[in-house]
Amino acid sequence: MTDFAKLSDQDIVKLVTTKDKQLYSHLISRYQDKLLRYVNYLTGHDFSAQDIVQETFIKAYINLNSFNLKKKFSSWIYRIAHNQTMDSFKKHKQEIPLLEDMDLDSGQDLEDDAIKLELKKHTKNCLSLMPLNYREPLSLYYLEDRSYQEISDILRLPIGTIGTRINRAKILMKKICQKINK
Amino acid sequence: MPKNKQIDITTKIMSQISSGKIRPLSRWYFVLGSLLSIFGLVGLTIFAIFIINLLFFVSRSHGPMFSFRLTQIISSFPWWLLILAILAIFAGIFLLKKYDFSYQKNFRLIVFLFILAIILSAWLMDYFGLNESLLRQKRMRRFYQYLNTSQTYPQRLYKNRF
Repeated sequence: MTDFAKLSDQDIVKLVTTKDKQLYSHLISRYQDKLLRYVNYLTGHDFSAQDIVQETFIKAYINLNSFNLKKKFSSWIYRIAHNQTMDSFKKHKQEIPLLEDMDLDSGQDLEDDAIKLELKKHTKNCLSLMPLNYREPLSLYYLEDRSYQEISDILRLPIGTIGTRINRAKILMKKICQKINK
Repeated sequence: MPKNKQIDITTKIMSQISSGKIRPLSRWYFVLGSLLSIFGLVGLTIFAIFIINLLFFVSRSHGPMFSFRLTQIISSFPWWLLILAILAIFAGIFLLKKYDFSYQKNFRLIVFLFILAIILSAWLMDYFGLNESLLRQKRMRRFYQYLNTSQTYPQRLYKNRF
Protein backbone atom coordinates (compact mmCIF):
# COMPACT_ATOMS: atom_id res chain seq x y z
CA MET A 1 0.00 0.00 0.00
CA THR A 2 1.30 3.45 -0.92
CA ASP A 3 2.02 5.87 1.86
CA PHE A 4 0.67 9.06 0.29
CA ALA A 5 2.09 11.24 3.03
CA LYS A 6 5.56 10.47 1.69
CA LEU A 7 4.71 11.38 -1.88
CA SER A 8 5.55 14.80 -3.25
CA ASP A 9 2.81 17.19 -4.41
CA GLN A 10 3.85 16.61 -8.00
CA ASP A 11 3.55 12.83 -7.60
CA ILE A 12 0.06 13.19 -6.19
CA VAL A 13 -0.95 15.52 -9.05
CA LYS A 14 0.29 12.90 -11.49
CA LEU A 15 -1.72 10.17 -9.76
CA VAL A 16 -4.85 12.35 -9.62
CA THR A 17 -4.72 13.09 -13.34
CA THR A 18 -3.85 9.56 -14.40
CA LYS A 19 -5.23 7.10 -11.84
CA ASP A 20 -7.35 8.16 -8.90
CA LYS A 21 -9.13 11.50 -8.62
CA GLN A 22 -9.95 10.80 -4.96
CA LEU A 23 -6.30 11.44 -4.12
CA TYR A 24 -6.97 15.13 -4.64
CA SER A 25 -8.18 15.17 -1.03
CA HIS A 26 -4.53 14.73 0.04
CA LEU A 27 -3.61 17.94 -1.73
CA ILE A 28 -6.55 19.72 -0.14
CA SER A 29 -5.57 18.61 3.32
CA ARG A 30 -1.96 19.61 2.70
CA TYR A 31 -2.80 23.14 1.63
CA GLN A 32 -6.16 24.15 3.03
CA ASP A 33 -4.80 25.43 6.37
CA LYS A 34 -2.02 27.36 4.72
CA LEU A 35 -4.29 28.87 2.10
CA LEU A 36 -7.03 29.71 4.58
CA ARG A 37 -4.50 31.49 6.76
CA TYR A 38 -2.96 33.32 3.80
CA VAL A 39 -6.29 34.44 2.32
CA ASN A 40 -7.51 35.38 5.76
CA TYR A 41 -4.54 37.74 6.15
CA LEU A 42 -5.48 39.36 2.86
CA THR A 43 -9.22 39.64 3.29
CA GLY A 44 -9.55 39.84 7.04
CA HIS A 45 -12.72 37.74 6.97
CA ASP A 46 -12.92 34.06 7.91
CA PHE A 47 -16.06 33.50 5.91
CA SER A 48 -14.91 34.98 2.60
CA ALA A 49 -11.53 33.30 3.03
CA GLN A 50 -13.24 29.94 3.18
CA ASP A 51 -15.16 30.65 -0.02
CA ILE A 52 -12.05 31.84 -1.79
CA VAL A 53 -10.04 28.79 -0.76
CA GLN A 54 -12.83 26.50 -1.87
CA GLU A 55 -12.90 28.22 -5.27
CA THR A 56 -9.12 27.98 -5.42
CA PHE A 57 -9.18 24.20 -5.01
CA ILE A 58 -11.96 23.85 -7.58
CA LYS A 59 -10.12 26.01 -10.10
CA ALA A 60 -6.89 24.13 -9.44
CA TYR A 61 -8.64 20.80 -10.00
CA ILE A 62 -10.22 21.95 -13.28
CA ASN A 63 -6.85 23.19 -14.54
CA LEU A 64 -4.77 20.38 -13.07
CA ASN A 65 -3.65 19.20 -16.52
CA SER A 66 -2.06 22.56 -17.19
CA PHE A 67 0.18 22.24 -14.14
CA ASN A 68 3.82 21.81 -15.09
CA LEU A 69 5.07 18.86 -13.05
CA LYS A 70 8.60 20.28 -13.08
CA LYS A 71 7.45 23.34 -11.12
CA LYS A 72 6.41 23.74 -7.50
CA PHE A 73 2.80 22.93 -6.76
CA SER A 74 2.79 25.25 -3.75
CA SER A 75 3.63 28.32 -5.90
CA TRP A 76 0.97 27.30 -8.39
CA ILE A 77 -1.81 26.92 -5.82
CA TYR A 78 -0.81 30.11 -3.98
CA ARG A 79 -0.93 31.94 -7.30
CA ILE A 80 -4.47 30.71 -7.90
CA ALA A 81 -5.45 31.74 -4.37
CA HIS A 82 -3.94 35.17 -5.00
CA ASN A 83 -5.93 35.53 -8.25
CA GLN A 84 -9.13 34.38 -6.57
CA THR A 85 -8.63 36.90 -3.78
CA MET A 86 -8.05 39.72 -6.24
CA ASP A 87 -11.18 38.67 -8.16
CA SER A 88 -13.13 38.68 -4.93
CA PHE A 89 -11.89 42.20 -4.14
CA LYS A 90 -13.03 43.35 -7.58
CA LYS A 91 -16.35 41.53 -7.30
CA HIS A 92 -17.23 43.07 -3.97
CA LYS A 93 -15.64 46.35 -4.97
CA GLN A 94 -13.57 46.20 -1.85
CA GLU A 95 -11.04 48.94 -1.74
CA ILE A 96 -7.49 47.71 -2.10
CA PRO A 97 -5.42 50.05 0.00
CA LEU A 98 -2.29 51.23 -1.73
CA LEU A 99 0.48 53.06 -0.04
CA GLU A 100 1.30 56.37 -1.64
CA ASP A 101 2.06 59.04 0.89
CA MET A 102 3.28 57.22 3.97
CA ASP A 103 6.66 58.16 5.26
CA LEU A 104 8.76 55.03 5.34
CA ASP A 105 12.16 56.56 5.45
CA SER A 106 12.84 55.82 9.08
CA GLY A 107 16.17 54.23 8.33
CA GLN A 108 15.44 51.49 10.82
CA ASP A 109 15.73 47.85 10.02
CA LEU A 110 14.24 45.21 12.21
CA GLU A 111 15.56 41.78 12.91
CA ASP A 112 13.71 39.02 11.10
CA ASP A 113 12.93 37.13 14.32
CA ALA A 114 11.53 40.25 15.95
CA ILE A 115 9.26 40.86 12.96
CA LYS A 116 8.12 37.27 12.98
CA LEU A 117 7.34 37.43 16.68
CA GLU A 118 5.53 40.73 16.37
CA LEU A 119 3.57 39.50 13.37
CA LYS A 120 2.46 36.33 15.09
CA LYS A 121 1.50 38.22 18.23
CA HIS A 122 -0.58 40.88 16.55
CA THR A 123 -1.08 39.24 13.19
CA LYS A 124 -4.58 40.29 12.39
CA ASN A 125 -4.51 43.79 13.83
CA CYS A 126 -1.24 44.83 12.29
CA LEU A 127 -1.73 43.18 8.92
CA SER A 128 -5.24 44.47 8.40
CA LEU A 129 -3.93 48.03 8.69
CA MET A 130 -1.22 47.44 6.16
CA PRO A 131 -1.70 48.16 2.44
CA LEU A 132 -2.26 45.03 0.37
CA ASN A 133 0.89 45.39 -1.71
CA TYR A 134 2.94 45.11 1.50
CA ARG A 135 0.63 42.77 3.37
CA GLU A 136 0.93 40.05 0.76
CA PRO A 137 4.71 39.63 0.47
CA LEU A 138 5.12 40.10 4.21
CA SER A 139 2.65 37.38 5.13
CA LEU A 140 4.06 35.03 2.50
CA TYR A 141 7.62 35.53 3.70
CA TYR A 142 7.21 35.55 7.44
CA LEU A 143 4.04 33.61 8.07
CA GLU A 144 4.00 31.15 5.20
CA ASP A 145 7.77 30.72 5.03
CA ARG A 146 7.93 31.15 1.26
CA SER A 147 11.22 32.04 -0.38
CA TYR A 148 11.76 35.23 -2.38
CA GLN A 149 11.69 33.15 -5.57
CA GLU A 150 8.38 31.56 -4.63
CA ILE A 151 6.86 34.92 -3.69
CA SER A 152 8.10 36.27 -6.99
CA ASP A 153 6.36 33.38 -8.79
CA ILE A 154 3.15 33.80 -6.82
CA LEU A 155 2.87 37.57 -7.17
CA ARG A 156 4.52 37.73 -10.60
CA LEU A 157 6.87 40.44 -9.52
CA PRO A 158 10.65 40.63 -9.91
CA ILE A 159 12.64 39.36 -6.93
CA GLY A 160 14.11 42.85 -6.43
CA THR A 161 10.65 44.32 -6.03
CA ILE A 162 9.74 41.61 -3.52
CA GLY A 163 12.85 42.46 -1.49
CA THR A 164 12.05 46.16 -1.54
CA ARG A 165 8.45 45.60 -0.55
CA ILE A 166 9.37 43.29 2.31
CA ASN A 167 11.91 45.79 3.62
CA ARG A 168 9.44 48.66 3.44
CA ALA A 169 6.75 46.46 4.96
CA LYS A 170 9.02 45.71 7.93
CA ILE A 171 9.38 49.41 8.69
CA LEU A 172 5.68 49.96 8.25
CA MET A 173 4.93 46.94 10.40
CA LYS A 174 6.93 48.34 13.25
CA LYS A 175 5.13 51.66 13.03
CA ILE A 176 1.70 50.09 12.92
CA CYS A 177 2.38 47.66 15.75
CA GLN A 178 3.82 50.40 17.92
CA LYS A 179 0.73 52.50 17.29
CA ILE A 180 -1.54 49.61 18.27
CA ASN A 181 0.41 48.85 21.42
CA LYS A 182 0.22 52.45 22.64
CA MET B 1 -9.01 27.36 11.92
CA PRO B 2 -11.66 25.08 13.44
CA LYS B 3 -11.45 21.45 12.39
CA ASN B 4 -15.07 21.30 11.18
CA LYS B 5 -14.42 24.07 8.63
CA GLN B 6 -11.49 22.13 7.20
CA ILE B 7 -13.59 18.99 6.86
CA ASP B 8 -16.32 21.05 5.30
CA ILE B 9 -14.07 22.28 2.47
CA THR B 10 -12.68 18.81 1.75
CA THR B 11 -16.11 17.20 1.83
CA LYS B 12 -17.68 19.85 -0.37
CA ILE B 13 -14.97 19.65 -3.02
CA MET B 14 -14.59 15.88 -2.98
CA SER B 15 -18.34 15.35 -3.30
CA GLN B 16 -18.34 17.60 -6.37
CA ILE B 17 -15.42 15.66 -7.82
CA SER B 18 -17.01 12.27 -7.08
CA SER B 19 -20.34 13.27 -8.59
CA GLY B 20 -18.55 14.49 -11.72
CA LYS B 21 -19.82 18.03 -11.22
CA ILE B 22 -16.30 19.31 -11.64
CA ARG B 23 -13.82 17.66 -13.98
CA PRO B 24 -10.30 18.50 -14.98
CA LEU B 25 -10.06 20.02 -18.44
CA SER B 26 -8.50 17.61 -20.88
CA ARG B 27 -4.79 17.82 -21.54
CA TRP B 28 -5.73 18.35 -25.17
CA TYR B 29 -7.45 21.60 -24.26
CA PHE B 30 -4.15 23.02 -23.03
CA VAL B 31 -2.15 21.48 -25.87
CA LEU B 32 -4.57 22.99 -28.37
CA GLY B 33 -4.46 26.33 -26.58
CA SER B 34 -0.66 26.35 -26.71
CA LEU B 35 -0.59 25.26 -30.35
CA LEU B 36 -3.09 27.92 -31.38
CA SER B 37 -1.14 30.58 -29.53
CA ILE B 38 2.12 29.43 -31.11
CA PHE B 39 0.64 29.24 -34.63
CA GLY B 40 -1.06 32.59 -34.19
CA LEU B 41 2.12 34.19 -32.95
CA VAL B 42 4.28 32.62 -35.66
CA GLY B 43 1.78 33.61 -38.37
CA LEU B 44 1.56 37.11 -37.04
CA THR B 45 5.34 37.33 -36.82
CA ILE B 46 5.84 36.21 -40.43
CA PHE B 47 3.17 38.62 -41.60
CA ALA B 48 4.62 41.53 -39.64
CA ILE B 49 8.15 40.76 -40.88
CA PHE B 50 6.95 40.64 -44.46
CA ILE B 51 5.01 43.91 -44.22
CA ILE B 52 7.91 45.76 -42.61
CA ASN B 53 10.32 44.21 -45.11
CA LEU B 54 8.12 45.57 -47.92
CA LEU B 55 8.22 48.97 -46.29
CA PHE B 56 12.03 48.83 -46.33
CA PHE B 57 11.98 47.67 -49.95
CA VAL B 58 9.61 50.37 -51.16
CA SER B 59 11.39 53.14 -49.32
CA ARG B 60 14.75 51.87 -50.67
CA SER B 61 13.63 51.76 -54.30
CA HIS B 62 12.97 55.45 -54.45
CA GLY B 63 13.72 58.00 -57.11
CA PRO B 64 14.36 61.71 -56.89
CA MET B 65 10.96 62.28 -55.26
CA PHE B 66 11.62 60.15 -52.23
CA SER B 67 9.77 62.31 -49.74
CA PHE B 68 6.70 62.41 -51.99
CA ARG B 69 6.74 58.61 -52.38
CA LEU B 70 7.22 58.14 -48.68
CA THR B 71 4.13 60.23 -48.07
CA GLN B 72 2.29 58.04 -50.56
CA ILE B 73 3.48 54.90 -48.79
CA ILE B 74 2.33 56.26 -45.45
CA SER B 75 -1.02 57.36 -46.85
CA SER B 76 -1.63 54.04 -48.60
CA PHE B 77 -0.22 51.87 -45.81
CA PRO B 78 -2.84 49.46 -44.45
CA TRP B 79 -2.86 50.85 -40.92
CA TRP B 80 -5.81 48.66 -40.00
CA LEU B 81 -3.52 45.69 -40.41
CA LEU B 82 -1.08 47.16 -37.94
CA ILE B 83 -3.90 47.81 -35.45
CA LEU B 84 -5.15 44.27 -36.00
CA ALA B 85 -1.67 42.88 -35.39
CA ILE B 86 -1.28 44.85 -32.16
CA LEU B 87 -4.73 43.76 -31.00
CA ALA B 88 -3.84 40.15 -31.83
CA ILE B 89 -0.67 40.38 -29.75
CA PHE B 90 -2.62 41.73 -26.78
CA ALA B 91 -5.28 39.04 -27.25
CA GLY B 92 -2.57 36.36 -27.30
CA ILE B 93 -1.00 37.72 -24.13
CA PHE B 94 -4.42 37.87 -22.48
CA LEU B 95 -5.11 34.23 -23.39
CA LEU B 96 -1.69 33.11 -22.19
CA LYS B 97 -2.18 34.95 -18.92
CA LYS B 98 -5.68 33.59 -18.50
CA TYR B 99 -4.93 29.92 -18.69
CA ASP B 100 -1.26 29.84 -17.86
CA PHE B 101 -1.77 31.71 -14.62
CA SER B 102 0.90 30.08 -12.59
CA TYR B 103 4.28 30.89 -13.99
CA GLN B 104 6.02 34.16 -13.99
CA LYS B 105 6.63 35.83 -17.32
CA ASN B 106 8.00 39.22 -18.08
CA PHE B 107 5.46 40.19 -20.70
CA ARG B 108 6.86 43.66 -21.24
CA LEU B 109 10.24 42.19 -22.11
CA ILE B 110 8.64 39.55 -24.35
CA VAL B 111 6.69 42.21 -26.30
CA PHE B 112 9.78 44.42 -26.59
CA LEU B 113 11.98 41.56 -27.85
CA PHE B 114 9.22 40.40 -30.17
CA ILE B 115 8.89 43.81 -31.86
CA LEU B 116 12.70 44.16 -32.02
CA ALA B 117 13.04 40.71 -33.60
CA ILE B 118 10.38 41.56 -36.21
CA ILE B 119 12.06 44.82 -37.27
CA LEU B 120 15.53 43.21 -37.33
CA SER B 121 14.32 40.22 -39.35
CA ALA B 122 12.53 42.49 -41.83
CA TRP B 123 15.64 44.60 -42.28
CA LEU B 124 17.83 41.51 -42.74
CA MET B 125 15.42 40.12 -45.33
CA ASP B 126 15.57 43.35 -47.27
CA TYR B 127 19.35 43.67 -46.83
CA PHE B 128 20.07 40.20 -48.19
CA GLY B 129 17.89 40.82 -51.25
CA LEU B 130 14.89 38.64 -50.56
CA ASN B 131 12.61 41.13 -52.28
CA GLU B 132 14.71 41.03 -55.45
CA SER B 133 14.65 37.24 -55.52
CA LEU B 134 10.90 37.26 -54.91
CA LEU B 135 10.50 39.80 -57.68
CA ARG B 136 12.12 37.33 -60.07
CA GLN B 137 9.68 34.57 -59.10
CA LYS B 138 6.61 34.22 -61.26
CA ARG B 139 4.12 33.96 -58.44
CA MET B 140 5.28 37.08 -56.61
CA ARG B 141 6.17 39.22 -59.65
CA ARG B 142 2.65 40.53 -60.13
CA PHE B 143 2.40 41.51 -56.49
CA TYR B 144 5.65 43.46 -56.60
CA GLN B 145 4.66 45.06 -59.90
CA TYR B 146 1.36 46.10 -58.36
CA LEU B 147 3.23 47.49 -55.41
CA ASN B 148 5.47 49.56 -57.66
CA THR B 149 2.58 50.71 -59.85
CA SER B 150 0.52 51.80 -56.90
CA GLN B 151 3.51 53.72 -55.66
CA THR B 152 4.15 55.51 -58.94
CA TYR B 153 0.54 56.11 -59.87
CA PRO B 154 0.24 59.50 -58.14
CA GLN B 155 3.51 60.60 -59.73
CA ARG B 156 2.22 59.81 -63.20
CA LEU B 157 -0.89 61.78 -62.47
CA TYR B 158 1.23 64.62 -61.26
CA LYS B 159 3.35 64.54 -64.47
CA ASN B 160 0.29 64.53 -66.76
CA ARG B 161 -0.98 67.71 -65.26
CA PHE B 162 1.93 69.67 -66.68
